[in-house]
Amino acid sequence: MKSLRLVVAVAVSLAAAPFALAQETVRIGVVQPMTGPVAYDGNIYVNTVKMLADDINAKGGVLGRKIELVVEDGACNPAQSVNAAEKLVVRDKVVGLLGAFCSTSTAAVMEVAKKHKVPLITGISTAAQLTEQGNPYFFRAVATTPMLGNAFGPVLPKALKAKRFAFLTLNDDWGRSMQASYPKAIESGGGQIVANEFFQQSDLQFLSQITKVKAANPDAIVLAANTQQAVALSKQIRELGVTAPLVGEGAWSSDSYIKLAGPAAEGVYGLVEYVYTIKSPVNDAFVKEFQAKLKENPSKFAGAAHNAIHIMVDAIRRAGAADPEKIREAMERTDYNGLVGNIKFDAKHQAYGQTVYLSLVKNGVPEVVETAQISKAQP
Amino acid sequence: MSRRIATLAVLALLCAVPLVVRDDYYLHLFIVSGIFVVAVLGLDLIVGYVGQLSLAHAAFFAMGAYTSALLFVRLQWSMWLGLPAAALAVGFAAFVLGGVILRTRGHRFIIITVVFAELMKLVATNWVDMTRGFMGLPGLALPKLSLPGLGSLDITAKSHFYYVVLLAAIVAFLLCRALVRSSIGRKFVLVRENEPLAESLGISAFRYAMIAFVAGAALAGAAGSLYAHYVGFVSPDLFNFSYVTIMLIMVILGGKGTLVGPALGAVLFTFLPELLREASHWRMITFATILIVATLFMPKGIVYPLVAYLVPRRWRLSDAHAA
Amino acid sequence: MSASLTILAQHLLNGVLIGCAYALIAMGLTMIFGVMNIANFAHGEFYMLGGFVAFYLVSLMGLNYFAALPVAVAAVVALAIILQHAIFRRLREAPMMTTTLVTIGLSIFLEHVALLLWGPQPQSIPTPFPTKPLSFFGVYTTPLYLFCMAVTAALIVVGHVVIRRTRMGKAMRATFQNKEASALVGIRIDRIYAYAFAFGAALAAAAGAVLGGFIPVEPATGGIVTLKAFIVVILGGMGSFVGAIVGGLMLGLAEALGAGYMPTGWKDAIGFFAVILVLLFRPEGLFKRV
Repeated sequence: MKSLRLVVAVAVSLAAAPFALAQETVRIGVVQPMTGPVAYDGNIYVNTVKMLADDINAKGGVLGRKIELVVEDGACNPAQSVNAAEKLVVRDKVVGLLGAFCSTSTAAVMEVAKKHKVPLITGISTAAQLTEQGNPYFFRAVATTPMLGNAFGPVLPKALKAKRFAFLTLNDDWGRSMQASYPKAIESGGGQIVANEFFQQSDLQFLSQITKVKAANPDAIVLAANTQQAVALSKQIRELGVTAPLVGEGAWSSDSYIKLAGPAAEGVYGLVEYVYTIKSPVNDAFVKEFQAKLKENPSKFAGAAHNAIHIMVDAIRRAGAADPEKIREAMERTDYNGLVGNIKFDAKHQAYGQTVYLSLVKNGVPEVVETAQISKAQP
Repeated sequence: MSRRIATLAVLALLCAVPLVVRDDYYLHLFIVSGIFVVAVLGLDLIVGYVGQLSLAHAAFFAMGAYTSALLFVRLQWSMWLGLPAAALAVGFAAFVLGGVILRTRGHRFIIITVVFAELMKLVATNWVDMTRGFMGLPGLALPKLSLPGLGSLDITAKSHFYYVVLLAAIVAFLLCRALVRSSIGRKFVLVRENEPLAESLGISAFRYAMIAFVAGAALAGAAGSLYAHYVGFVSPDLFNFSYVTIMLIMVILGGKGTLVGPALGAVLFTFLPELLREASHWRMITFATILIVATLFMPKGIVYPLVAYLVPRRWRLSDAHAA
Repeated sequence: MSASLTILAQHLLNGVLIGCAYALIAMGLTMIFGVMNIANFAHGEFYMLGGFVAFYLVSLMGLNYFAALPVAVAAVVALAIILQHAIFRRLREAPMMTTTLVTIGLSIFLEHVALLLWGPQPQSIPTPFPTKPLSFFGVYTTPLYLFCMAVTAALIVVGHVVIRRTRMGKAMRATFQNKEASALVGIRIDRIYAYAFAFGAALAAAAGAVLGGFIPVEPATGGIVTLKAFIVVILGGMGSFVGAIVGGLMLGLAEALGAGYMPTGWKDAIGFFAVILVLLFRPEGLFKRV
């Protein structure tokens, strides 16, 4: 009868109760954009982490157990990233989280980490406010924009042979943070700021903004953009007859940018936390493996992945147990030497001590022309 | 008599959910569904009952979220105050907007609602001093529930907050049901079915559309407030068109012009995307196809007719089906 | 020329370049609206597909750039005809909510199919034009920009001529004004619909293919383009071709000048405010239906 039908329907739909499996592996959760506008870079991160996790497992894993990565798509969308993180923590019972790429998504996932008391580490999100919120479960393994600015700002006028600097950045926290923090450092090196312009993430062409910047007659233009916009931006800048050198945070040293931008990429400087032309034993091995398995040169997102997974595993090892709280405490005492030098965390869980690089694209290769070290963040 | 039993049975089932479902992840989905139930009931008022396709609803939702978040961050207003404040504020915004655009008909109306939503997104992104732009507003906490004489209850646990959302959803449902069953509700339908006739009877389409628009927006604002405090974070992403689409899918495929339809649609289309996480693009392609096919061939939606088929007439909670 | 005059001229040129593109896309949208009474929320997806197919042909199949453009447009037109036949033909008498929902669904469908086929990475179409900029009195442009302007302007003229002078155009305008009467005098309404939809899609796809040389195309681009097109159509008057042309150019210029002389973060707001003003003071738009 009809009523029976109803009962059956209800019973079937409520029958989805899952049950937890005993943990044989050490589960680490990864929230990254695998779809959406930054999916390309997100997928590189995920593939890198997978490759490195396999390496670690081949050498015996951690705490005598294998690492199991559970990857969820956050799509750089805060709501989706939150859902992903909830699932990883609650259902998959991960002991640590890597993610979530975009600063806004990371900010949202931070709340989940705090709520469920699981440590979260990011190697990519640079919005300064993330470490200002006193969230004890969040660790940032990358220099913030202001820290990069302090490290390289004074060097730029000499390195670029420029006095008049114009800013043209994405109109979000990253770009705004750059335009707020870089000027002082640049001015301390003898530079002068002549323009501050923004563009939206949804902008497809930048002719108006470029024209406005051009009107200020800059010797160098400082940019903040991701790959997709970086390509159009640098092309359109050259097409409008602006010959000043470009220096930027973001995509400017990655292979995908260089390939897509073509001649417009020549002579572009990048302020990067990692570039594949770094000369060190750790990096040489990494690049070789990356080229063999993933068939391209590692971008800064791959470098970030390298740092994140290794710091996480290092913390698990020192914690002596797959217990999120112990891992968190161990992570605070990190003294890790890896891809980009030594990394420690300060009281706000902000990394410091690592090397950062000024790259210059010469003949399609991003060579390292200057290095600097990130000093502890000023309170 | 049997209707009462049915109602109680459903209520009992709903209340039992946190006891049966121990998994926090599924509880999370139930909570989010409940929030969307409130929101899409509001959307159904204007889309289903009055028959005007408003694409501003997600913007109202986001505005409610932001209002509540800002009141929390700047004035330390708890959600108990923030929610009604958000509902009122958004309702007022809808009143102002409606005054300008509800006289327009047809496609222009639809497009204006889109423009409004985009404009609100721009404001949320660029008015950095107020909204912190892309960084959003983090750290929004759920309030405590202080009952005089009983002490205070911590409702931050999912199983507890579920009841708050359930209550909100039930209240929203009852309010909408009262509205659509009243003479106002009948006038909604008359305006939708035959506007010239309504006008000739002295029933101002503008006035009744406005009522639905404002009521719907207030519900969206309230839902937004719940969402903000639950997720703990608001950002301009809330204004994305994807929220509009999912709400529309919930209403249309749920069964516009009914109340149970969109409510069930909200639950179904919160769970479905999560359960189909793996299939990201195919999932959206499927939803879009279903939307097109349903719109073409199944104007009564999918969920409501299915429910109507399964549930014997005498058990039905409401006959508010006026499609 | 003095520096500020040069800059002004540059802004104006930028504005015309973008304005022509807006006008072309909006013409297609207004045509579909005028003849079929459908607000095509998937219009931007035609632009996007035009760009992607052209990219695919040039980049991955090695077709000559100038040959790829019309082929890309033809591909999108074929798709439009299929859609018209499968879906929109049934919606001739359908209420507005139905048609709008269908086009919204179509927009999501096409965007995700594009994501599946080409991924989210923005692509620009490799062009044979030299990239070195040309300058006239300090105002810069490139051969590609000039090509874009020339093609979009030419297509606008073609569109205008088709509507005004050809038999098909007259039949379309007759259908605009009075469907029943047109059917009575023997105009095949179904065919008119198909032509209008195909032509509208063609204009959008042409814009996408041509602009794809310097504005990278990604699946999400469709939504942005649709929004801009709707703004132009509201400004110019829904169903008015002249309105689409004038509205498009005006929006392009307003945005370029606005961004040039105001804080650049609010550039998009210009279009929105214009729409609000129009709505308050002249709701039918600047021009009446043609």
